[in-house]
Amino acid sequence: MAEEFASAPHFVGARIPRTEDSRLLRGEAQYLDDIQIPNLLEMAFVRSPYAAARILSVDSSAAWNIPGVRAVFTFADMPFVLPQNGPSPIDQPVLARERVRHAGEAVVAVVAESRYIAEDACEAVHVAYTPEEPVLDMQAAQKDRPRRVHDAAPNVFYHQEYETEGFQAAFDTAPHRLTMTFQTTRQTACSLETRGIIAAADPFSGRMTVYCGTQSPHRLRGDLAEMLQMEEHLLRVIVPEVGGAFGMKAATYPEYLAVVQAARLLRQPVKWTADRVESFLSDVHARDDIHDLEVAFDQRGQIIAVKDHLMADGGAYASYPFSGAIGETSLAAKVITGPYDIAHLSTVIDCTYSNKVPLGAYRGVWGPVASFVQEGMVDRIAQFLHLDAAEVRRTNLVQPNQLPYRNAAGMLYDSGSFTESFEHALAQLDYTRWRATQEQARRVGKYLGIGLSNFVEPTAMASSEAGSIGYESCSVRVEPSGTVTAWLGLGPSGQGHETTMAQVLADQLGVDLEHIVVLHGDTDAAPLGGGTGGSRSGPLGGGAAMQAGRKMRERLDVYAAHMLEAAVEDIAWEHGRAHVRGVYARHVSLRDIARIAYNDVRQIPSGLPIGLEVTERYQPPRPVSFSNGTHAAVVEVNPSTGQVTVLDYVVVNDCGTLINPLIVEGQIHGGVAQGVGAALLESLVYDDSGQLLTTTLMDYLLPSAPLVPRMRIEHLVTPSDGALGVKGMGEGSLIASPAAIAGAVNDALSPWGVSFERLPIAPRDIVTSLGRSSAAPV
Amino acid sequence: MKPAHFEYFRAATIGEAVDKLGGDPEARLLAGGQSLIPAMNFRVARPSQLIDINGLEELKPLVARLPENILEVGALVRHQQIATSPLVQRYLPFMATVALSIGHWAIRSRGSVGGSLCHADPAAEWPAFMVAAGAEMVVAGPQKYRRIPADTFCSGFMETALGPGEMLVKIEIPLAQGGWGFWEVARRPGDFALAGAVCRRHHSRTTVTWFGADLSGPGTVTVESEGGAGHGTHFWEDAASRVLAVDDDYMLQILGYCADQACRQAQSDEGRDYDNR
Repeated sequence: MAEEFASAPHFVGARIPRTEDSRLLRGEAQYLDDIQIPNLLEMAFVRSPYAAARILSVDSSAAWNIPGVRAVFTFADMPFVLPQNGPSPIDQPVLARERVRHAGEAVVAVVAESRYIAEDACEAVHVAYTPEEPVLDMQAAQKDRPRRVHDAAPNVFYHQEYETEGFQAAFDTAPHRLTMTFQTTRQTACSLETRGIIAAADPFSGRMTVYCGTQSPHRLRGDLAEMLQMEEHLLRVIVPEVGGAFGMKAATYPEYLAVVQAARLLRQPVKWTADRVESFLSDVHARDDIHDLEVAFDQRGQIIAVKDHLMADGGAYASYPFSGAIGETSLAAKVITGPYDIAHLSTVIDCTYSNKVPLGAYRGVWGPVASFVQEGMVDRIAQFLHLDAAEVRRTNLVQPNQLPYRNAAGMLYDSGSFTESFEHALAQLDYTRWRATQEQARRVGKYLGIGLSNFVEPTAMASSEAGSIGYESCSVRVEPSGTVTAWLGLGPSGQGHETTMAQVLADQLGVDLEHIVVLHGDTDAAPLGGGTGGSRSGPLGGGAAMQAGRKMRERLDVYAAHMLEAAVEDIAWEHGRAHVRGVYARHVSLRDIARIAYNDVRQIPSGLPIGLEVTERYQPPRPVSFSNGTHAAVVEVNPSTGQVTVLDYVVVNDCGTLINPLIVEGQIHGGVAQGVGAALLESLVYDDSGQLLTTTLMDYLLPSAPLVPRMRIEHLVTPSDGALGVKGMGEGSLIASPAAIAGAVNDALSPWGVSFERLPIAPRDIVTSLGRSSAAPV
Repeated sequence: MKPAHFEYFRAATIGEAVDKLGGDPEARLLAGGQSLIPAMNFRVARPSQLIDINGLEELKPLVARLPENILEVGALVRHQQIATSPLVQRYLPFMATVALSIGHWAIRSRGSVGGSLCHADPAAEWPAFMVAAGAEMVVAGPQKYRRIPADTFCSGFMETALGPGEMLVKIEIPLAQGGWGFWEVARRPGDFALAGAVCRRHHSRTTVTWFGADLSGPGTVTVESEGGAGHGTHFWEDAASRVLAVDDDYMLQILGYCADQACRQAQSDEGRDYDNR
């Protein structure tokens, strides 16, 4: 292998600037709202002002009378639902049916010649409601108090229990036990580009073209076909440029069905684009979890047993097809021990309905919650035993000789570098120096804190918010001119797949990057794939690209050997040219081969088909592949104002083979930025009547550029046994970062004995918790 | 998120703008639009017509009238102009510091000093600065011009002393001696302040003017003492609780903190020799 590529460029592993960036940075990319279609109508929604109410009547006569209004729809006009076949038995109607169950639920859809007119018409629709008492507290909801969200089902829609054998004895006989309650707040992905969809029927063919910024183009096509009773082959889903998705755009939403159905009924193209308020009221929320935790450990801080009651507020309906509540809790329960060797585990899960926006996927799903719990637990143990936080982690980390390691929940960590990444992070940070600085700073009234966060990241799973397709597909075509076109079934939203997949193909085909174009997101062209989500595109998509590239290369080798009158084993490729190994003068170009394959087919070596096209599907050898790493943060807390400044940030990341370190680091930068948001800023706040108070970007505080720390990143490489040794890495940075920052804040406040177990940690909370003294007790 | 129907009128003269404004109580002036346009898009504001004053050159001067010791700032001067103007750097550099704490570059480039003053958000920097500076507002009305001192111009929560049909034309800021200090606490850089303070010191006189989200408008306290700025956070916290109608502990604490920080700055600033003349 090494010899084969000795003289050829190696694209995998190289810091290649992204192909996508030129059009993105010049503002030339085409997002959904840039698409121009003649006679395009626009949809707007009348949304529920109540968290819970009965709909008494809908009077839309005034709306119909506004010039330019083309239709006003209620559930009766489009009686479709997003069905639930999973543990949650309740279907979600496209438009509210008799009841509204969260503020912002779509009740009426208006179609008009412009969005302005559509919004005027929405104001003219009169809906009469009888408000009902909202269900807003997840712990009360578990007991069906104050009432059921859905008459037909109890509020608890998912309940699971798990316990390792011998748990109780181990727990009861442990030298120490601590109890703690961790809570994360509702967040949402808040993609820069809001959700949207266009549906346009082709009157000649009878087909329907749907443009939508979804993460799973094929799944959306299947969903629309099934839910709207359409023929799948008459539907075409095209994903334009997507301005951020983060799991939130993996779901199939009621608005999507409404737009497609409206385009069918009106026989005219229809568009809906969410405004920011609608995004907050209808994009899936995430992270509304409580963990009631008990931990048992010995004098050295060795953790013996963990008992966790995991709760999540799933909102009014289980988001289709992936309930964030179930995803966050069931996966957290499987990885709550993180990279630590903890023998005993007992978990109980309760997911409940409420009168809030449905909980769905947001980058990391279970991970940021579980890591915050797991690292918080370790810090509390260190505090309790007066041990150094790093030392307690050393005591508990899974050791290299334990790998592959099956954790207490039964998950197999296939490979990793747990102790190595931790020690490298401490060295990178200069942990002992920061500890000394922290001590000195306290003497002059400055409060620094160090936060450590070890993470595991299950990737490349068969099932995720993107869907349940455990493989990925790639079609490769060498065009008659010798250039290469590839299609994948992925649904990227900024990950740079056009670059990374081309890198994989370039190495397999021995051609240069500029001769490869990677396409995705058109169900008429791309082979059926599972889409993008759950950190699957690198390992699965990359595997498919590698396999398809290799298959094509094998065919090209036969051509080259035939034309050069050499043995197949002696063919080497470079810059789109095959030569006999060691004899550069004897060569043939890909263009020459392509000409024969398409235009001079009598010259095709016997046994090969006409043309140069292959489609390959790659299924990884394992159901899950674990990435891992360590984040370390240093913060300063101003005890007078509660303001937190991140002074230093180190990431050691191990995702196996890196296809493109530049892109991996970009993913990490973004994940740490979102971690700052999760730890310190972002919170979706409901009032006592179930109104969402944070519906603008002035209220929902995203981390802005000055708040994102400079970070130092080190890569470790423990390859997976899948294709190329690649592991997924889209979520690890956001899994680890909230815990690192929260841990650092807690460490800074340790002189007061204050420790936050609830995110985000807001300035007011810090100041209030310190009492009236801004100087630490001596 | 589209505005309700409105008429649009681009004014050619101040007189024309004032006439239009006086003739329609539901009309609003459009300056930088940084608060009004979002409010219209939310349909919280529903003006019958927008009178666009962005073409009025008379609203754009930024000059030092040295004989009178006055910096004249037209109502339409943008925040970013204040931040980068060599004139401001020379005669009132502190004002540039304040300007830079407003929003972000894009907001500062469109948002205007006059627009911010007339919007009178209690968390905004300019009202407090103008009060601290002893500025005067020059206002055009249906009949005549009049002058309103800054401390009466901001009359309450998002309220000004402007009468029906009146518009702010310019602000006159005295170039006085002494030291300046400024501090604010916001959740993120560029956000509206949770709390902030402007401090002026001249000899033994220290004046603190607060602004902040929980206030009804700028609030000022003056302390006469030779003791320097070393009053400390708690002193200012007590002062804030007396002067401002704020009873939230956290807010009082950060108002006190801001005042203390601003006073420390003002004290060291006072030592510098200003080329004010």
